[in-house]
Amino acid sequence: MKPIVEMKNIVKIYDNGVVANNGVNFTVNKGEIHALVGENGAGKSTLMKILYGIEQPTEGEIIIDGQSVSFKSSLDAIDHKIGMVHQNFMLVPSFTVAANVVLGNEPIKNGFIDKDQVLKVTKELSDQFGLFVQPDAIVDGINVGQRQRVEILKTLYRKAEILILDEPTAVLTPQETQDLFKAIRTLVQQGKTVIFITHKLREVKEISDRVTVMRHGKMIGTVDTKDVTREQMANMMVGREVFLNITKPPMKRGEKRMEIKNLSYISETGRPVLQDVSFNLYAGEILGIAGVEGNGQTELVEVLTGLKRSAGGQAFVKGKSVLDHTPREVRQQGVAHIPEDRLTNGVALKESIEENLIVDRYFSAPYKKGMMLDYRLIENKGKELIKQFGILTPNGKLPVESLSGGNMQKVIVAREFSSNPFVLIASQPTRGIDVGATEFIREELVRLRTAGCAVLLVSADLSEVMSLSDRIVTLYEGRITGVFPDAAKVGEDELGLYMLGIKHQTNEEMEKFL
Amino acid sequence: MKSFFESKGFRELLRIVLAVTIGLALGFIITLFVSKDPVGAYKSFLLGPISRLNRIGDWLEESLTLILLGLVICIVFGASQWYIGVEGQMVLGAMAAGCVALYVPIPPLPRILLAFLAAMIVGALWGLIPALLKAYYNANELVTSLMMNTVALKIFEYILKAFIMTPKSRSISSELIEKPFRLPTFIPNLPFLQGIREIWMKQTSVTIMVYIVIAAVIIVYYLLYKTPFGYELRTVGLNTKFAHYGGINVKRTIIMSILVSGLVAGLAGAHLTLAIHNKIISNMTSGLGFEGINIAILAGNNPLGVPIAGLLYGYLRAGSDVMERSSDVSRELVFVIQAMVLLLVTAERLLPTIQKRVADIKENSENGTNGKPDVKNVKEGDSHVA
Ligand SMILES: Nc1ncnc2c1ncn2[C@@H]1O[C@H](COP(=O)(O)OP(=O)(O)OP(=O)(O)O)[C@@H](O)[C@H]1O
Ligand SMILES: [Mg+2]
Repeated sequence: MKPIVEMKNIVKIYDNGVVANNGVNFTVNKGEIHALVGENGAGKSTLMKILYGIEQPTEGEIIIDGQSVSFKSSLDAIDHKIGMVHQNFMLVPSFTVAANVVLGNEPIKNGFIDKDQVLKVTKELSDQFGLFVQPDAIVDGINVGQRQRVEILKTLYRKAEILILDEPTAVLTPQETQDLFKAIRTLVQQGKTVIFITHKLREVKEISDRVTVMRHGKMIGTVDTKDVTREQMANMMVGREVFLNITKPPMKRGEKRMEIKNLSYISETGRPVLQDVSFNLYAGEILGIAGVEGNGQTELVEVLTGLKRSAGGQAFVKGKSVLDHTPREVRQQGVAHIPEDRLTNGVALKESIEENLIVDRYFSAPYKKGMMLDYRLIENKGKELIKQFGILTPNGKLPVESLSGGNMQKVIVAREFSSNPFVLIASQPTRGIDVGATEFIREELVRLRTAGCAVLLVSADLSEVMSLSDRIVTLYEGRITGVFPDAAKVGEDELGLYMLGIKHQTNEEMEKFL
Repeated sequence: MKSFFESKGFRELLRIVLAVTIGLALGFIITLFVSKDPVGAYKSFLLGPISRLNRIGDWLEESLTLILLGLVICIVFGASQWYIGVEGQMVLGAMAAGCVALYVPIPPLPRILLAFLAAMIVGALWGLIPALLKAYYNANELVTSLMMNTVALKIFEYILKAFIMTPKSRSISSELIEKPFRLPTFIPNLPFLQGIREIWMKQTSVTIMVYIVIAAVIIVYYLLYKTPFGYELRTVGLNTKFAHYGGINVKRTIIMSILVSGLVAGLAGAHLTLAIHNKIISNMTSGLGFEGINIAILAGNNPLGVPIAGLLYGYLRAGSDVMERSSDVSRELVFVIQAMVLLLVTAERLLPTIQKRVADIKENSENGTNGKPDVKNVKEGDSHVA
């Protein structure tokens, strides 16, 4: 096979002095699926942004198909048949799927956009590559999996031969991931080349032909995937041994910390999303919610943390009602919250890291001193958290947007974990985080729980729910379908049946364990 | 350590200076086409405002108003509220200050203080309606505040004509505010300053408002960047959902941002009556309120940049006055220059791109070994376990 992409000696120094790529050599062969892995902030996205022309390298050479190129912008890259789907999607929400696919290059008839043709080409592309979408649906109303397919179609419409997918599976359910992999295989069969960034080493094994590992902006090596194990890859990434499975001390269950009774929620469109949900949360335990995404988990968390109004029911912390109270009031009862959608809820991208770390506490001592905020203290506390949680940044005064995706997540985790929570509600806490940091966050979660915190864990990653939880509740179409008092004793297949609503426990069966 | 010349503030300043220079150069080219005496016209434009003491005074006075208006916009835009009701708040503030100064029968010092207070309170309260509509009904503040401007201007003219204007006055205005109730000149009455003070007072009437404006700049800066309220305001402005999630009361913050900006807008109104016009006259604000937006843009929404932006912008305005009076070029030319300057400043990408291009060219000619930026390395060997 001959190389289609060769990046030689790439150096990238951002304006703020961060060396994101430091002499990287990266080669991709035509027609292969090439995985790119590395810790958060290793420089993967940066390298791909350089290949796609969004960032310009400080030094180095790029050769596409034997021809030396220099990209001023992504338009140049598109001319060389390179396409990229970003970690954060970039679609126009108010447009239809088809309009987004052809955006910037619409088929024209008589001086106007040819609407029929737009729908037709989208349909054709979608069929050709097995990327199912509904061409006339509005993007705002479709889920992440579909949005991602739209992004991929968009690159294909622009005749991309080399596709870069930046953490495509971080936002997908296991089923959607399988669909995506099928589509990727179809693409490669038709002669395309795919570069694929992920933190999930299992996926690397499953789909890629070769894998390249980066660490601290440097290239560690490229190997044939079949020649390495997951443990070896993790080792290359982190530079030390990583424990993919964690051990936790036995549970010491304490008093009841949160009580949820007959909770229901109705969506803006009038659909009942949560119906009659009741359970208790105890000190010293991790209660995992297992469910296929879209069965009410998101809403459950948002209602409990004050972001959404319930349609009935009750919730108490320390005997005080917290349902339909403001987020501030909920937080003042000691509830911390790691939100699912980190970019919209979890951080203010243009605000400094330091200031992002104090949003739940700035109004009280010691942060507030007299009428002023004590910015020296804020800076020092920021430094402490940056160190403690290994947030990769030269300076806490930089805006959060200058961090890599996984490090943004660490900012949120650092803030919520350090609030000394009474109850912690964690939604997808390790989404988009590298193996090393995932291990760290999982350990921290267990440490909090062992120290007596009550933890509610929601994750699309079933293996995460199963390995961390002490007790598991399954959710299907907004109802609890089963409760498993000892998470260690239940199998994945068994859980699956309850998650898909095929099996139900009766109320009597569940009552004593909820 | 970063030197001043690499700091963000310096780059910002450089950008503005560059923008102004280019704007002026383009303006001159246009003048070449429209004027019989382009050099003379441009000279009167560039040097006019500082050619006489009284013109310097006019320039400073107008700049003070502009600085206050720029602060107003820094506050509301900081909270991402596209609120442009300053005109209305200012005009009613001017009315309130004038009424107190003219009609409340108390001694000078308390009367002036009360006039300021009244102007600021009226300014703030006038923002309440759009603020509440925005916070509770999500009504577009741009639209409501614009409408409130019209209402305020009508109320102002009505009160002026129905209650304040005396039959014998020749213009649509109140009587002059009596001397003791106007603001004193800004040069303190000290023996060694006596000479300057007298010359100055004969020619111009720049008042102690200078100090009040300086104080306002500092207070607004501290308010926005050092207090809990400022933190809330900026956080809401940067990401409302995050602010809500974090526990900030978004509605209250939006309302407060508009009210606080109203205090400053009222102050600007008081400045108009108590220092500039010394009476209430028709059409007092004449669209000044919107200039605040330009000032804030020039200043990059930073209160500390507002004085420079205000003086600069005030200078362009003052220069255009002189030019219009003393040459065949009309002030519209200055609008063109202003627009150019603003465009250049807002094209934030421009300068970095130019810098990069220059760096690229340099690098190519030097063969890429020198001229690399200082590398502050990322912590090496950073591990995730504490
Ligand atoms: N726009 C930017 N300005 C300044 N620094 C940046 C910018 N984008 C990224 N960085 C820094 O460059 C380094 C590499 O970031 P990059 O996004 O390439 O990491 P990544 O490998 O994609 O990580 P992740 O797995 O967390 O997405 C990080 O230290 C990051 O903070
Ligand atoms: Mg990334």
